Amino acid sequence: MLVSIYRYNPEQDEKPVMQNIDVDVPADRDLMVLDVLELAKARDPSIAYRRSCREGVCGSDGMNINGVNGLACITPISKAAGPGRKLVLRPLPGLPVIRDLVVDLSGFYRQFEKVKPYLINDAPPPAIERLQSPEDREKLDGLYECILCACCSTACPSFWWNPDKFIGPAGLLQAYRFLADSRDTASAARLAALDDPFSVFRCRGIMNCVAVCPKGLNPTRAIGHIRSMLLQQGT
Amino acid sequence: MNCDCHARLLRIYSRRLRKQASIGKVKTSRPINLNLFSIKWPVTALVSIAHRVSGILLFLATALLLYLLDLSLQSEAGFRQAADLLASPAASFLIWLVVVALLYHLIAGSRHLLMDIGIGESWRAGKFAATAVIVFSLIGAILAGFWLW
Repeated sequence: MLVSIYRYNPEQDEKPVMQNIDVDVPADRDLMVLDVLELAKARDPSIAYRRSCREGVCGSDGMNINGVNGLACITPISKAAGPGRKLVLRPLPGLPVIRDLVVDLSGFYRQFEKVKPYLINDAPPPAIERLQSPEDREKLDGLYECILCACCSTACPSFWWNPDKFIGPAGLLQAYRFLADSRDTASAARLAALDDPFSVFRCRGIMNCVAVCPKGLNPTRAIGHIRSMLLQQGT
Repeated sequence: MNCDCHARLLRIYSRRLRKQASIGKVKTSRPINLNLFSIKWPVTALVSIAHRVSGILLFLATALLLYLLDLSLQSEAGFRQAADLLASPAASFLIWLVVVALLYHLIAGSRHLLMDIGIGESWRAGKFAATAVIVFSLIGAILAGFWLW
């Protein structure tokens, strides 16, 4: 199988280049993209990429696979490239490349930090846990599962053009996760912090984020909920 | 400490400093992978981007249409002049383009309005609605063609 990999070594290269590597893959079973990448690395040990759990839990190996962002470890090559097709691996779009498939995620994390992704509750802590009804707990489904792999935000044109002002789908999903939490008492302050032309409203609903999310989450819907809350609050 | 040792330390430190400086220089010029043609766009994105393109087209066409309206309202001769301008096949094609852009903008815009009130925000519904926008616009384009020619 022919694998085309984005190569850039800051100490040697002026500009990134695409390197073609021919990898022998077993014909009788489907491999994951990460397996093929490991085989390619056996051929050329200088290839750099992040990986850890190899089962779609840690979110380290987010990359652009044949034009679609995804986790290399849970994307089968049959789905990514199809039989006889070339596998094209590029780093996540829109973020500075440190080396090969490794990107600098600090801009992405800064946006995450902005939404205060932790529970805020003014009431004095009770002796036991803060309780929540099963119905209220259910509201967090589809929000809390995010693993911060950055596939969604780096698939979003609004985030490409305004990475410092638009929170991006990953950050906004988390913002809504805490807005929707019955135990959080800072909703008004959270909404006020988001109420400007860029933070939320740069989303144009093109759903690239939903299309690529490896966990099947829906940032577009979460952003819609935040918009409605902003409208109702009228901050 | 003897002189030889000082010189060696100095050499090590200066080498380290140079190395740090070169690392700092590299960091400022990191490339960004953003080749729009290497990215596969889902149908929802294509429909949304085309919605914007059709909006820009309509904005530009408004100037032309207002000019024609102004011309036709000036006098009887002006009206005939405008009618003559619109009679050519090229003008009919342009008018068809404007009608198609308007139809598309209307249909795709309605989808966005529906999404704003929370309808069609799931991935399946979003894909289905985007495909429906394309199908309805194609039907509209064909009907507009029949109406014009």
